[in-house]
Amino acid sequence: MNAVEIDCVTKTFGKAVVAVDDLSLAVPAGTVYGFIGPNGSGKTTTLRMIMNILYPDRGSIRVFGAELHGACTDRIGYMPEERGLYKKMKVRELLEFYGGLKRNGNVRGEVSRWLERLDLTDWANKKVEVLSKGMSQKVQFIATVVAGPDLVILDEPFTGLDPVNTDVIREAVLEFQSAGTTVIFSTHDMGMAEKMCDFIFMIFKGRKVLDGTLESIQSEYGSDTIRVRAENGAGKITDIEGVERINNYGRYQELRVAGDRDPHDILSTIMARTRVTSFEITKPSLHDIFVRIAGEEAREVCNV
Amino acid sequence: MSKLWKVALREYKATVRTKGFIIGLVLAPILMGGGAIGMALFKDRVDTRDRRVAVIDRSGLLAEVLVRAANDRNSQVVIDRESGEKLRPAYLIEIVEPHETARDSQLLQLSEQVRRGQLHAILEIGEGVLHPRKHRETAVIAYYGANPALDEVRQWVGRPLNEELRRLRLVGAGIDPTTIPDAFDWIYPESLGLVSADPETGEIADADRSTELQALLLPLIPVMLMFLMIMMGASPLLQAVTEEKSQRIAEVMLGSVKPFQFMMGKLVGGVGVSLTAAAVYVVGGVLFVRHLELGEYIPYGILPWFFAFMVTAVFMYGALGAALGSACNDATEAQSMALPSMLPVMIPMFVMMPMVMNPESAFAIGLSLFPLFTPILMLLRQGTPSGIPLWQPWIGLFLVALTAILFVWAGSRIFRVGILMQGTPPKLGNIVRWAVRG
Repeated sequence: MNAVEIDCVTKTFGKAVVAVDDLSLAVPAGTVYGFIGPNGSGKTTTLRMIMNILYPDRGSIRVFGAELHGACTDRIGYMPEERGLYKKMKVRELLEFYGGLKRNGNVRGEVSRWLERLDLTDWANKKVEVLSKGMSQKVQFIATVVAGPDLVILDEPFTGLDPVNTDVIREAVLEFQSAGTTVIFSTHDMGMAEKMCDFIFMIFKGRKVLDGTLESIQSEYGSDTIRVRAENGAGKITDIEGVERINNYGRYQELRVAGDRDPHDILSTIMARTRVTSFEITKPSLHDIFVRIAGEEAREVCNV
Repeated sequence: MSKLWKVALREYKATVRTKGFIIGLVLAPILMGGGAIGMALFKDRVDTRDRRVAVIDRSGLLAEVLVRAANDRNSQVVIDRESGEKLRPAYLIEIVEPHETARDSQLLQLSEQVRRGQLHAILEIGEGVLHPRKHRETAVIAYYGANPALDEVRQWVGRPLNEELRRLRLVGAGIDPTTIPDAFDWIYPESLGLVSADPETGEIADADRSTELQALLLPLIPVMLMFLMIMMGASPLLQAVTEEKSQRIAEVMLGSVKPFQFMMGKLVGGVGVSLTAAAVYVVGGVLFVRHLELGEYIPYGILPWFFAFMVTAVFMYGALGAALGSACNDATEAQSMALPSMLPVMIPMFVMMPMVMNPESAFAIGLSLFPLFTPILMLLRQGTPSGIPLWQPWIGLFLVALTAILFVWAGSRIFRVGILMQGTPPKLGNIVRWAVRG
């Protein structure tokens, strides 16, 4: 059973901008699906179309097997990229309002449970406008999940969160998964996507460029990467024949080996120049794959 | 509870619970009626400094009379007999001999004295005032002052001068005025409504006395209240929607409610706000007026129409405001939209006076049946003493309801597109395209 099925969907804005171009995608129920892609590549438009906030020009979108025409979707919790909270309302009041819109009956107990879990109980009767950015992000997260949706869509849930809160949200997401909830989230944090997602989907200029498990994506690229740590690494590891690209991470370097070269030869060349303290011949990281696809323009947005 | 009602309830609470609403509820009538109340309070607080007026009497007939009349007045109304307090200014008449050759320079010299504050004004009485038909050129009474049009002394001098002139004309005709003391008494025609018979007893009742209060002020009160209610219930929607759009609240909301439910919820909330405020004013107003024992002036018959027009008006103007608000991107754009969106409410306020004077003219009927103006103008015409045929408010209400439905429909289409459209300026072309295409 697929939670979401996107079938040949195209969405244009005006005449010139094709935000999503002939996209097809299936999100199996109970999985965590990561949406990656450079800014402006169509992630948010796709998420909004799943939410039925935007309508596709062509193609169809089915959520839990049904097409949602003009109906809003109480089984989905949606957290947009930018925070949308009524600033003058009190935290608890706001959460009960948002929760009540999705679910009939009392959400008070759920609200209390989530406030406690995200360490916001002391702020329950404060107005939203006094919250810090991280706190309002957490409030927004609660608003998304408080009604107990079957599908949770999170647009960049981790931006602006400190490591402690990132972990809290990450654990909550994984807990949803184990409870059978489907989670779709978009992120620029490739490490987070690698760690959390069952499936990764990459959209670039409105088109699907990657879709599958991390392993299947990486295996498409083969073991063409050498991760090496050496004395004076950055200075010594330059201009090596057979290396297409070097990513310098400071304490170690990542080398992409040309298809027709043997990584062992490259390693020998490096060892002849300097003292290698550790090395690993590995599959390319998601970050590297992202950069390979999106090129120069994407590098700024995925500084991992 | 449906989502629409949940949205409406939130909107209602968000407005009614604020201090601004409660303060506004108290302040609005004070500001609107403030002028009248202020004038009533300060009516007796007049400037009691004496008014020194120079009189140049070229006829030689009136100066002395004026001095006597001023003295009579001063002895009667200036000092309160019981408290000894000075209530009004005394009028002090100074007779100035007319300069035969240099009239202009004499006037200039006296004007300078007025400017320096030594005199209040100059009264110049022409030579031919006794027989104006014979001496048209010189039958003039001229009053020179710093602010002559609104001058109380100018308003006062007319009567004693003319009474004396009439007396002199009778004497000139050989009649002793004391033999006909009521020769110049004036009887004002009273304004009365039409006589009607009691349908049960057949008894003919006295006609109601019709006053200016009834003819001018009474029709205005429900209209002012309507204006206030539209300002409270409908106008804030424009800014509120823009705010929800720019703060991305709309996107969260649209994940839970349909655009139509969202907008309609806001409108219902707005109607709730204006019903609350109107109830406070109407109940408060009726109790207050009854307390003043003026209960007969309360137009109970208009109240149901007032509420019917108010509810439809808030839907109509509110949908207009919400649609425009969804097309704006920030507070500045919303600000520049505020005036055009309020024009349909402002224009009727400017044509109120001609409407009250002639409520049954074709102009009045036509304009009051134009749905955007109906809630205010129809109500105004209904409040006039003569009233209007009953079919007119019914047709008006029907058209307003129809327009409100059309606006809500088109507005929700604009709203749905506009609310997510960041960075597109609110041009008329865009708005119309969104309404047509959805």
